Amino acid sequence: MASEDARYRETSQFQAWSFSPAQLAAMREKTNAIARQRIAERMLASASNPPTSNNTSHANTPDPSGHGTPNPTENSTPTLPDFLKPEEEALLVSFYVSELLRAADHLGVPDEVRATATVFFRRFFLTNSIMTYPPQEMILVALFVGSKAEGRFPRIIEFQQKFNTKQDILAGEFLLCQGNRFNFEVRHPFRALMGATMELRSYGDIDEQRIIAAEKRAHEILLFSPLMTDAYFHYTPSQIMFAALSLADRGLAERLIQETFHFVPPTTNNDNTPAVTPLPGLENQGIGRKEGGSKGITTNDERAAIVGPGIRDKVMGTIEACRNMLSTELPERKSHWTSESIFKSQIRPVRKKLTKCRDPDRWNLSELQRQRREAGVRRADSEERPAASNGSKDAAIFGGDLSADAPEKKRRKVDGNGLEDPFGGPL
Amino acid sequence: MANSPLVARPTDALQPPKSLPPSSGGTPSGGLPRSARGQQIAALARPTMDLMEQMNEDEKNKYIKGKKLGEGTYANVYLGHSRLDSSTQVAIKKIKVQKEYQDGIAPDAIREMKYLQKLRGHANIIILHSVFSSKDQNLNLVLEYLPLGDLEMLIRDVDHVRYGAADIKAWMGMLTRAIWWCHDNYVLHRDIKPNNLLIAADGEVKLADFGLARSFADPGVRMTANVITRWYRPPELLFGARHYSGAVDIWSVGLVFAELIIRAPYLPGNSEVEQIALICREIGTPTEENWPGVTQLKEYTVPSDVVPVAGKDKYMGRFGAVGSDGVDLLTKTLVLDPRRRITAREMLEHRWWKADPKPTPKHDLPKKTAGAEEKLAADLKRRNGMVEDDDVRGSKVARKLDFGTAR
Repeated sequence: MASEDARYRETSQFQAWSFSPAQLAAMREKTNAIARQRIAERMLASASNPPTSNNTSHANTPDPSGHGTPNPTENSTPTLPDFLKPEEEALLVSFYVSELLRAADHLGVPDEVRATATVFFRRFFLTNSIMTYPPQEMILVALFVGSKAEGRFPRIIEFQQKFNTKQDILAGEFLLCQGNRFNFEVRHPFRALMGATMELRSYGDIDEQRIIAAEKRAHEILLFSPLMTDAYFHYTPSQIMFAALSLADRGLAERLIQETFHFVPPTTNNDNTPAVTPLPGLENQGIGRKEGGSKGITTNDERAAIVGPGIRDKVMGTIEACRNMLSTELPERKSHWTSESIFKSQIRPVRKKLTKCRDPDRWNLSELQRQRREAGVRRADSEERPAASNGSKDAAIFGGDLSADAPEKKRRKVDGNGLEDPFGGPL
Repeated sequence: MANSPLVARPTDALQPPKSLPPSSGGTPSGGLPRSARGQQIAALARPTMDLMEQMNEDEKNKYIKGKKLGEGTYANVYLGHSRLDSSTQVAIKKIKVQKEYQDGIAPDAIREMKYLQKLRGHANIIILHSVFSSKDQNLNLVLEYLPLGDLEMLIRDVDHVRYGAADIKAWMGMLTRAIWWCHDNYVLHRDIKPNNLLIAADGEVKLADFGLARSFADPGVRMTANVITRWYRPPELLFGARHYSGAVDIWSVGLVFAELIIRAPYLPGNSEVEQIALICREIGTPTEENWPGVTQLKEYTVPSDVVPVAGKDKYMGRFGAVGSDGVDLLTKTLVLDPRRRITAREMLEHRWWKADPKPTPKHDLPKKTAGAEEKLAADLKRRNGMVEDDDVRGSKVARKLDFGTAR
C-alpha cells in the first residue's frame, strides 16, 4: 500500500496547488500585471467605442510587440486609473478572507467547509486579480462551492436569506470552479489533530488536561491562522497541524515528533544501500502489486532515512517555518481585522482605489454570466472552433438589464463608497 | 494518455510542485500566452482573455469534438479525440444546465469530478482526462473512451455472448480491485451495478459513474440511506441505516457476481418492500441472532415467516458454476450483518482467485461490439447516480401490510 506521503503527492493539492514562496510571489506579480493590461485595454475600448457602434476591431488593443500598459497619451482617451499593486491586492485578499471567515461563522458551517471555502477563495485570487472579479461576491461563492465540495449541498435560498444575494452566487459558481481548475478535493489538518491527540494519549504519561488544552488551542489556531496565511500553498496538512500544535504546546508537538522519528542507526553498518535517500512508501507504491508489503523497510539506512534523526531535523525545520508563518496570524488577530481604525486607515483607502480600477467587463458577475450564456448559445454549433466572439461586450457597454439585478447594483454601489461592513451590519 | 493540467498529474510523482500553470501552456508573458503549437489557437482566441480563461481555452482546444453518441436530458455524449494525437479517443460528456436544479452545479457533477480526480491512476477506474467549460457555461467532462459497452450488455445477450467461470473470475477480479481502490482511498461508490462497469477496447473493466460517491463519514456524521440502485441495495440501507461502511458496496459487488453467474438479476425487487422480502427469502431473514442490533434500525421490518440464513449448499445449486471456492466468496459478500461481511481487501485475498480455472487474460475475454457505442452513450448520458426509486419510502406499517401480497 502506498504510504500517506506518496498518496499526498498524487493529490491536486500537491501537484497543482503547492508553491514555493518565490513561485507564489511571481504568480501574484504576473496576475497583477495581466489584470492591469487587460483592464486598461477594456477601459480604453469601451471609452472609445460609442455604445451604438458595432466595432469589433479592438482598435485600442495594444500592439503585441509593445508590452505593458498602453500609453494613455497615445490617443486622447481618458487617463487610466491608478491600479492596485500586488501588495495592495494581497492586503485586500487577506481582508476579504477575514470577512469570509466571519461569514462562515455566520452560516455556522463545519470546519471543513470553512477551510475549503477559504482555500478556494485564495486559489481563485492567485490567477485572478481582485481588480477583475468582485471579492465580496466571491466570498459567498466560495462558501457555496466549498459546501458542495464537502458533500453538503445547500439550497441557494439559504444563502439568499442570510446574505440577501442569490444571482451573483450562482453566476460566480462556475468562475470559481474554473479558477480552481475543477479541483474539489482539499485536504485539511483537522483529522490529523484528532490523530495526534489520540497518539499523545496512548503514551500514557501525559496529563489529560494538558492534552485537552493543547487540542483546543490548536484547533482554534487551525480555524484561523493557516487560512489567513499562505500556509496551505506551502505546507502539507500534517505539517500545518504540527505547527498549530507546537504553537499551542511546543513540548507536546516535539514529543510526538521525537517518538515518531525515533530510529537511531547502529554504529556499524553493513548495509549495501545506495546513497540516494529513498522516499518513504514509494517502494510500495502502485496498484496491483504483489503481496508482501511487510518487507518494505529492510536496511538500517532505509530505516534511518524514514524515521531517523536526519529526517527528524528536516521535519522539525519545516514545522518551525510553518509555525512562524502561522504566528503572524494567531486567532487574536481577529480583532485587528475587524477593528474600525485599522479599516479606516489601511483597508478603506485601498478599497477606494479599487473602485476606480475595476474591470469594466468582469465586475458584475450576473451580467457577465448572462453575456457568456448568450454568446454560447449563439455559437453552440461551432463550439470546438475558438472563433472570435464578437459583440459579447455589447451588453456591458449598454449597461445590461438594470431591472434584474437592480437591488444588487445598489448594494454594491453603497459598498463601493466604503460602507464598513460588507454583510450589512454586525453579524 | 495525455495528462490534463486541469486534473494535472505529472508522470513523475517525485517532481517538486510545479508552478501554475504547468510548463506546457498558458504561461502569460506580458501579452498573448502560449507559443509553439498553441499559436494558431491563441491567434484565433479573443484577444482580451484572462489567464484563467486562456487556460480553459487551452484545455478545450486539446480535444476535438466529434459525432454525438447520445443525447439525454442530463447530458449529451460526444466522441472526441486529442488534437495532438488523433488516435487517442475520448468521450466528452457535456452536462446540461439543469432546469429543475435551481442551486447551481448539480451535486452529482461535483461528486463525479471530485472522486474521479481523487481515484485517478487505477486501471479499473474510468479516467477523467480533463474538465473544461464551453462558452454557454456548460461543464464538459473528458472521459476515457470505452468502446465495448458494459457488463450488463454481455450478461443480457444470452444468445450471442457465451462466457464461463474463467471469464467471470477475470471480470470479478477487476471489479474487486476497483472497489478496493475506492475503499482504500476512503471513498464509497454507492451505485455499483453491471451498467456502471464499462469495458475498454482491451477488455479491461472500468468502474464509472461516481455521481453518488462520497468520502467515508467521520464517526457520528449521518449519511443518506437512499443510495444504490434497489436490486443491488444492501439490507442495512433498506432498513434505513444512516451510519454505514464500504460493506454497502460489497453487497452490490456480490449481487453483480451472482448476476454474472446466472445471467439475470438475482434479487430484482419491484419495490423496497419486495426487495426486503426477496432478501429474506433467498438469503435469510435478518434477526437479532444473525445480526445483533438489526431490529434497532429505524425501518426494520421483515415478513413474519422467518427464513434461516442459507447455507453454502443452497447456493451451490444455483451458483455452482464458479466452483466451491467461488461460491464461498459469493456467500461471504452476501452476509446480512454488514460488520461480518467480507471487505474488499479480504476478497482480494480469497483463495478463489488462485484456484483453477485461472482468470481469462483481458484480451481474450468475450466481447460484443454491436451496439456497444450506443450502450456507452446511454451509460454516460444517464444522470449520474440516478437511483430511480419511485416508491415512497414506506412506513413500517405500510410495509408490513405489503408483505402479505408481495412475494
